Amino acid sequence: MMPGILKSGVAIFRRDIKKFLSNPFIIIMTLLMPIMYLVVFGNAMGGTLTHIPVGVVQEVPPYNDTLLFTSAAYQLNHISQGSQSDAEKLLDVTIYTDEAQAKRDLADGKLSAVIVFPSLVSNDNAVRVYVDSSDSVTPSLVEGAINQVLQGLGAKNPIIVDKIYGDIKYIQFFGVGVIMMAIFSATSFGGGLALIKDRENGIHEGYLVTPIKRTSIIMGIIASGTVRAFIAGFTIFWIDLLVTGIILQSFQDFLLVLLVIFIACVGVTSLVVSFASRFSAQQEYQSVIAFFNLILFMTSGAFYPVIGMPGWLRWITLINPEYYGVHALRSILLRDQGLSVIGIDLIALLLFSMAMIILGVVTYRRTLE
Amino acid sequence: MYNATSQEVPLGENGTEETPAIIRIDHLTKVFSSKTKTVTAVNDVSFEVKRGEIFGLLGSNGAGKSTLIRILTTLLSPTSGQAFVDDYDITKDQEKIRSIIGVCPQNYTSDLELTAYDNLEFYGKLQNVPDSLLPDRIMELLKMAGLADRAYMPVGTFSGGMKRKLEIVRAFIHRPLILFLDEPTIGLDPEARREVWQQIMMLNKEHTTIILTTHYMDEAEKLCGRITFVEHGRIIALDTMENLRKLIPAGDLIEIGVNHMDPRAEEAIRKVDLVNAVTVVEHNVTISATNGSQVIPSILTVFEKYEVPIISISIRSPSLEDIFIYLTGKGLDGGNGDGNEISGPGRRGPP
Repeated sequence: MMPGILKSGVAIFRRDIKKFLSNPFIIIMTLLMPIMYLVVFGNAMGGTLTHIPVGVVQEVPPYNDTLLFTSAAYQLNHISQGSQSDAEKLLDVTIYTDEAQAKRDLADGKLSAVIVFPSLVSNDNAVRVYVDSSDSVTPSLVEGAINQVLQGLGAKNPIIVDKIYGDIKYIQFFGVGVIMMAIFSATSFGGGLALIKDRENGIHEGYLVTPIKRTSIIMGIIASGTVRAFIAGFTIFWIDLLVTGIILQSFQDFLLVLLVIFIACVGVTSLVVSFASRFSAQQEYQSVIAFFNLILFMTSGAFYPVIGMPGWLRWITLINPEYYGVHALRSILLRDQGLSVIGIDLIALLLFSMAMIILGVVTYRRTLE
Repeated sequence: MYNATSQEVPLGENGTEETPAIIRIDHLTKVFSSKTKTVTAVNDVSFEVKRGEIFGLLGSNGAGKSTLIRILTTLLSPTSGQAFVDDYDITKDQEKIRSIIGVCPQNYTSDLELTAYDNLEFYGKLQNVPDSLLPDRIMELLKMAGLADRAYMPVGTFSGGMKRKLEIVRAFIHRPLILFLDEPTIGLDPEARREVWQQIMMLNKEHTTIILTTHYMDEAEKLCGRITFVEHGRIIALDTMENLRKLIPAGDLIEIGVNHMDPRAEEAIRKVDLVNAVTVVEHNVTISATNGSQVIPSILTVFEKYEVPIISISIRSPSLEDIFIYLTGKGLDGGNGDGNEISGPGRRGPP
């Protein structure tokens, strides 16, 4: 006969296993998480940057291109990254004729670097490099590429690198992403979970028999979720400034940050609520949310520049509200850029929110079925 | 829609024919299907509820009462059949129906973290009660529920009875035409039950039609004008208490307590005129007889003849429970019968 202590232990074991097996959804989600880490995290973090957009320009006068310029521009455009089989171009070179225009495009985020080749009349023959230093990877890659090309050409020109946003530490680059993560966490515990808990506790049954409309329910929950998320995002924003030492350049930047955080909150909350409106059990919702939290955060570019991700992963960033949030916040906080650059992020976030609100309203179950 | 004044509805006597129907149900069926099995929770049900009455849906757990209520309150859609609530079709005019009904579901649905006042205010707003009237209405309801002194305390601190009373008045915040109460006194102590009953009767006096489900016989007997028995999704009887009593062929039940029953005496009693059935369970002899008081002397003679001493004797009209047992062959709480026993008279039926 089995001793009592063993018998009850076995009983608990059997009960847990029965419960585990009775919910295949949770089992699948548990398996999906490590696979996600492997595929997404591995690719998002370890990826090599390719197709970095750089502008090359020839100093004037004279107004005709030097041999150094044409050969270097050609070779820069043909450096490959990665192994032979799937080699990708490191740099996408655009040739400019106007140095000022190239620098404007750099400031607007269209280019990651501008390489200015010396004119024949230059005193020091230096190659000047202006590089977007808001991430820690691009400057060294661009500088390495130029060195390689110049050596190959046998040119002994010195290189002067100007990190246009100064030396930005990784924590400053990464910290901005954490603001988005805070928004997501707050809204998944606030708006989304609150909705499901109400449904689980039967509170929904109480108010579904009133004339309340689906739109009112979804809009009300998104509004309250947005406020909670905003408080979280705003708090983490200050902590981020304190911890990472980022200095706000102007009051206008501060207002822009508030705007971005707010619109990102609307976007993320409507995503979470539209999903939560389909779930009736906390456990299932939480496993899905953990999954979303991971994939959205990893593909947001918080860890590593999005440009380093494989193509298929970059598609996810296109529909990832956190990507637009991270990009907009970095543009303001690290690059001091304004509405002209982040406008597109805000529009994307608003379109995304609108689509999610509609999805949430349409899929919300007005009955108990 | 909030009705600032009570409806002027002519109140007929409960169960009389002249009162118009406020709910009409016509061959309503609800089937729940899953991969493994199909359950018919409501099976071809048809009946009417009259304006101003307290209508009781009585049945054991899982009989289909709550499903029926959920269909009528637009929370579930029927698989087939039709139902009209105050002329509105439940499959087409849900919005209209929701504005004229008040519902108190079986489970507590108040927000435990909010105060009683906040809960009522929330529902008042959902029911479009005008903001100018809302504070007074809330206090009026809290007084009605005897909770005025607890208005600003979280509902989580309330006892079961207090929570239930709050939910009932909450369902009444917009003065609905019809109030649905799903097991309003389940799990309450006797005193709290009586208080809830009083509250229900008070609301009915305000010309509200009340539909309540219960599996407590005394509750249905005490409150309801007409009662319907629901069993396995079907209506097995629907009438006033008085008419339901007539369903049992035996008019009265005579219960006699004994120390030991002589089988010969039992046999002799069966032969007495007007006696319909005799059951002996341990020290209890239950005799059903038409016109019981007239039969007692003959029965006593039998006991004397076989020298069986009588410890106690009582005579009573059959209760709702007796009728239910007669019709279904099982008690409401026990459920010792299975599906096959629905038809045919039960164990206390005529031999």
